[in-house]
Amino acid sequence: MNWEFIFKDGLIAGIQGIPVSLFVTFVSMLIALPLSFLCAMGRFKRVPVLSQLITVIGSFLRGTPLVVQLFIVYSGFPSLLNVLVQRNGWDFDPFGISPYVFAFVVFSLNVLGTLTEVFRSSLSAVGKEQTEAALSVGLNHFQTNCLIVIPQALVSAIPNICNEFLNLFKSTSLVYMMTIQDILGKVRLVAAEGYDYTEAYVVIAVIYFVLGFTMEKLFQRMEGNLKTYKAAPQV
Amino acid sequence: MIAVKNIKKSFGSNQVLKGIDLSLEKGDVVVILGPSGSGKTTILRCINFLERADEGQLTIGDMQVDLKHASSREILKLRKRTGFVFQNYALFANKTALQNVMLGLTVARKMPKAQAEKIAKAALDRVGLSERYDYYPSQLSGGQQQRVGIARAVALNPDVILFDEPTSALDPELIGEVLGVMKQLAHEGVTMIVVTHEMSFARDVATNVIFMDGGVIVEQGKPEEIFDNPKEERTRQFLKRILLEDEAESQIAQAREKAREAQQIS
Repeated sequence: MNWEFIFKDGLIAGIQGIPVSLFVTFVSMLIALPLSFLCAMGRFKRVPVLSQLITVIGSFLRGTPLVVQLFIVYSGFPSLLNVLVQRNGWDFDPFGISPYVFAFVVFSLNVLGTLTEVFRSSLSAVGKEQTEAALSVGLNHFQTNCLIVIPQALVSAIPNICNEFLNLFKSTSLVYMMTIQDILGKVRLVAAEGYDYTEAYVVIAVIYFVLGFTMEKLFQRMEGNLKTYKAAPQV
Repeated sequence: MIAVKNIKKSFGSNQVLKGIDLSLEKGDVVVILGPSGSGKTTILRCINFLERADEGQLTIGDMQVDLKHASSREILKLRKRTGFVFQNYALFANKTALQNVMLGLTVARKMPKAQAEKIAKAALDRVGLSERYDYYPSQLSGGQQQRVGIARAVALNPDVILFDEPTSALDPELIGEVLGVMKQLAHEGVTMIVVTHEMSFARDVATNVIFMDGGVIVEQGKPEEIFDNPKEERTRQFLKRILLEDEAESQIAQAREKAREAQQIS
């Protein structure tokens, strides 16, 4: 074991990569959250056509490996675009698109597939009687959803959102394949000099664990704050 | 005045209501009795449009609508004139007792918050929950939850409150407090339609008792007439069975009490 690498070069490189990993994670999540909620509402309300479309796309996104999705978008999409560019004579270089754009597209779509199901199941977990009660006191459907159904659904979705968030955070380590220098990319880069790959992956594992553990705790605290109405002891 | 005429409702091929007429004046307490599956609950749910009837007319005060074709605006307007008390309480889980009662006032009726709070507190005081304003439903007992449910309906000052088996989900020792509140409301002149199996309530409080079976009204009249002198065979059988069940239940309760005492002694 090259301890010096672990505690010095490797660790420093890894820490430098943290902002990149977090950036990709947060942006993808922020794109996916509202979209998947809308998709879930579409499924929940059984909006015709839209609902079926979401189901099929969702199954595809959940049923194909992330690496495959990544390569389809990263290498397939620019080539496809290039054909169009050449045919129409546009002044645009499809191979110059930032890999971050592809990362955001792939990861947010991938999370969208699972988060839609998370939101849909938590929406349907809110009892029908909650809606009926709200209607019976004179609320319309929009008010009922905004004030009663959605707030309850969101709270019960938090643990699953946390899971998805952690999964996404870990998955973003694949961005090194698109030349983005995240935690994994940076550490591997410095490891190449002395061939310290074993050490490199130990460093990477530790960094991911510390960050992942912190996120989990933060989510738990948030859930605790939001679900006071459930955790309350019987009197 | 509240009147429903000729309500019909089927679920699939099963016709649950086969043309029911019902009418009551301000201050009346109508109790609907009948075996389960006879369509009692469906009547209430149709009046509040939680279920869409296949046919029928509803009149509340000066408003008259066709139950089947009512527009969503009419439904909203009618719902503001009726209150509903659910069998399983159906309190908003993410709201405190006070917020539960206030919601219909502030959101649906656009009442200023301060005024709504005053009314909501008064309603909760009326059902004996002055100490529980800021408790969430999960912190309240079944009886307390149902009393909040009643307060939520009362606070809206509706033309009629519909009670759908309000005590059926309660432990026997908690039924009394809820029935007590309902009796008090009846004495204060609140108009109600109550679906229940509580015979003592029907006998003491009802101005009119309706016995239903198989989707039709079999018999109706003053409580004395129905209980002491039922004309129809089906009514007689139903009452007999309920009385037997009540008796059996009280015997079980007594036996349980005895067993508990015996345990304490040993």
